[in-house]
Amino acid sequence: MALKDKYCIVGVGETEYSRQSARSTRAMAVEAVRNAMRDAGLGKDGVDGMMSYQSGDSVFANWVAPDLGIRLNFYMDVFGGGSSTEALVGLAMGAIEAGMCHTVAIFRSMNGYSDFRIGGTGARAAQPVRGLDLAQVPFGMRSAGQNFAPTFMRHMYEYGTTSEQVAHVRVAHSKHASQNPKAFLKDRVTVADVVGSRWICKPLHLLDCCLETDNATALIVTSAERARNLRRKPIYIMGVAGRVNKPRTDFHWAHGPITRVAGYHAKDIVFGQAGIKPDDVNVTGSYDAFTFTTMLQLEEYGFCKKGEGGQYVSSGTIELGGKRPNNTSGSHLCEGYTHGISMVIENVRQLRGQVDDYCPGWEDGKHSYDYSPGKCRQVKDARITMNLGWAMPPTGSALIMRN
Amino acid sequence: MASVEYRGMNLVIPENDSEWREHFKLARANHRLMLRACKACGLMRYPPSHGCPWCMSLEWEWKPVSGGGHIYSYEVVHHAIQPGFKEWTPYAVVLVELDEQRGAPTPDEALRVIANLVTPEFRPEPEANVAIGKRVRAVFQDLAPDFALPQFTLTDEPPEGRVWRFPG
Repeated sequence: MALKDKYCIVGVGETEYSRQSARSTRAMAVEAVRNAMRDAGLGKDGVDGMMSYQSGDSVFANWVAPDLGIRLNFYMDVFGGGSSTEALVGLAMGAIEAGMCHTVAIFRSMNGYSDFRIGGTGARAAQPVRGLDLAQVPFGMRSAGQNFAPTFMRHMYEYGTTSEQVAHVRVAHSKHASQNPKAFLKDRVTVADVVGSRWICKPLHLLDCCLETDNATALIVTSAERARNLRRKPIYIMGVAGRVNKPRTDFHWAHGPITRVAGYHAKDIVFGQAGIKPDDVNVTGSYDAFTFTTMLQLEEYGFCKKGEGGQYVSSGTIELGGKRPNNTSGSHLCEGYTHGISMVIENVRQLRGQVDDYCPGWEDGKHSYDYSPGKCRQVKDARITMNLGWAMPPTGSALIMRN
Repeated sequence: MASVEYRGMNLVIPENDSEWREHFKLARANHRLMLRACKACGLMRYPPSHGCPWCMSLEWEWKPVSGGGHIYSYEVVHHAIQPGFKEWTPYAVVLVELDEQRGAPTPDEALRVIANLVTPEFRPEPEANVAIGKRVRAVFQDLAPDFALPQFTLTDEPPEGRVWRFPG
């Protein structure tokens, strides 16, 4: 693409991952954006654009900026959850390219456990049902898991994918979380733990599902020229695809195969821009709202053949120490639920060589590469990472970065 | 404005909801599944929409379908999100592929509808009887004088292709 390597992510930051933030989404957003600015070495005059995404559950960018003394030349808050991160990174590049601003902070702040339950329980379950929701919600199909499960079930029917195979996604991510001081769940689990956990919505067990947590997460995008003068090693954006859709996103069941996900359409855009192939990617960040979503995207983007996702995720490939680790922070299944930014943050840290694990010298890039519990989670010589953002089966985004 | 209470939910259809305002009314009046068909190209679509996804025509009419189909995929909810569904658990949500317009206009397209798999008494069909491939027919649960909820129930017809049930 014309903009390959011309924009960088220069700062990343987050709050604690908890289930009891006891504060507003505004307060959390302010802290996360400030952490990302400090990470980048930027003061209040260093950021002049701000974007966020939310679903009626969070603060707006123009309320956050003044709390940090930032005067904005551009802001935009969009409606949306997963897969928004990569899309907003692309839009931030566009805003800067258009001359509207020079440096954009992107955040997502949510009391996803203590206030607006992302799983759809509590206040969300009591909302009136209208419009397109009438096609599904009256039948007890409201939560994300309930919305996605027929896709997962059909994949098992068509390709013979098993619960045990996809359980390996949880196993891998729990292993990674055990090396992440920030992770909400740090205990490693086994395949037996996953398939032995209680049913939520068949084929989903409890441990096939991600967490609900309270947190804010942020990252900062600027031009490569500006990036070179900042505190951290610039991480270059090679390609980005934002909210790419299958036909009939409103009711994707109408246009099959229903086991196909948006990556089928996004992959050519993002790999085309970056000029690389799946084999060139060292670390993936395939969105883990559920174990199945990680698997479906990895196969759709071509990290294995379509239908072989079950074998791919259970082969050891996606674990630290494997050929191409996925979600090395433990991400949504174990670290905390952020609607995707945390997976981009993790890959930025991987590319810097400065993953915040238990290695005493991590900030200086000194890692042991000992992947036993409570030790290291830095991938050796990570050069290229790829994020596979998921909103739902028919909608997704992608981002390829390098150091 | 139609406002129907069902399983603790408030189903709301304002008069200006031009997509849905007739859908449940027609289901109640006819006890048949009625879909929107494009007047220009003749193809039916679901859910009801203003434009034709294939030829962009804005002209349409309601057309009855047989209500027959097979289970294309499904899930079984054990942990209900909506309080009104808790006494129903475990209940099956089915994706039914209707008999009409299968594989048209392209091989991957079909008329597919989400509903529950229920007994003739509108109770959830036991989990052991739910499987991909099984034949079903539409049934209609009257909830108000101008509102019926289309559901599906099993038939005795031979299955469509391979019958497959989630192991476990």
